[in-house]
Amino acid sequence: MTPEQHALHEAAMKAFLDKKKYKAAVRRQKDDEEANLGMTSLMDIVSILVIYLLKSYASDPVVINPTAGQKIPFSAADASIQDGMPVFVTVRGITFQDQKVVTMTSEGEVDPSMVQNHLIGPLFDAFSEEADKAKQMAENRGIEWEGRLILVGDQSLKFSTLIDVLFTAGRAEFKEYTFCVIRKG
Amino acid sequence: MAKRPRKKTEEKVVEANLLPVMNIMFLLIPALLMAMEFASMAAINVSPPKFSSAPSEPTEEKKEQEKPLDLKVFIMDDGYRVEASGQQEGADAGKSADSSKPTIGLAKSGAPDTDYERYDYAALEAKAKEYKALFPNDTTVKISAESNVPMQVVIWTMDAVAGTECKIGKFMKGTEELPDNCYFWQPIIEGGAG
Repeated sequence: MTPEQHALHEAAMKAFLDKKKYKAAVRRQKDDEEANLGMTSLMDIVSILVIYLLKSYASDPVVINPTAGQKIPFSAADASIQDGMPVFVTVRGITFQDQKVVTMTSEGEVDPSMVQNHLIGPLFDAFSEEADKAKQMAENRGIEWEGRLILVGDQSLKFSTLIDVLFTAGRAEFKEYTFCVIRKG
Repeated sequence: MAKRPRKKTEEKVVEANLLPVMNIMFLLIPALLMAMEFASMAAINVSPPKFSSAPSEPTEEKKEQEKPLDLKVFIMDDGYRVEASGQQEGADAGKSADSSKPTIGLAKSGAPDTDYERYDYAALEAKAKEYKALFPNDTTVKISAESNVPMQVVIWTMDAVAGTECKIGKFMKGTEELPDNCYFWQPIIEGGAG
């Protein structure tokens, strides 16, 4: 390479590097562009979901959440559940006001030592306590206490246990009884 | 006169800040999911259990009134015993407790106790329809069962005597009259009979 050629090459290289530096500087000076997330479609889905859930929530005044392993009986009945106190009676135990009041025997019956002439002792105490509270509240509000018990039973629950629970509720001054069932179809 | 060139105006699209709304929505979803019912629940109103004891003597006034049907269904291990006006269905007249045999046998004899469809619900419903035709104003039925009869059988028995097509939801709300296909829809649970 002749000295002229070398000088030309050097000059071309310098020009190329200067141009590159300039481009990099321009790029650095540019504002960072914000990435926008498309929210509209997500909002549509969420709104529809919320409306659906609100509708299913508003359909019944009482929300029944069965205890683990409980199989609520099926029925062709269609009357809606009215406000009342739910008691969950399964072959494992009796739950009232979120507390397991009675534990059943392996045969799915109430321990005979707890039952005296159809009256289930611990359940009667729990029923009476809550009935007194509810009566007091109704009195303060100037309304009559309806005394409705919602019995959420189990498909395999024995008739004798059912009778004992209803009898005990009757002794605790509950006046109306409702069997909670799952609507068939 | 030369036209003035129109100024190009770029309209800025103002986007709403949806993030706070989304936050609320995402909090609402689990709250509503917790409260929602996954199966449609219904209610069967029952009258308190009555324990069999010596029947009260009817007063003269009551005797003069029209004799009610007093329908009773007793669920046994081997079928239904149906009683009306104190007499078992199909038994000799004048005998109150004729036999321990069922009036309506099992639909699936020999099926295990856990098979809730072993009872003849269709035959019981047909019987209830017959009685309803004779006593159109009667709506109550006394239901009792042997101690080991499962609750599902008791519920389906109540459905059968009320009529499986009977829908009283709107009647209970007071918006409609009682449908004609409702037979004995007010069950009274009786205990201590078996």
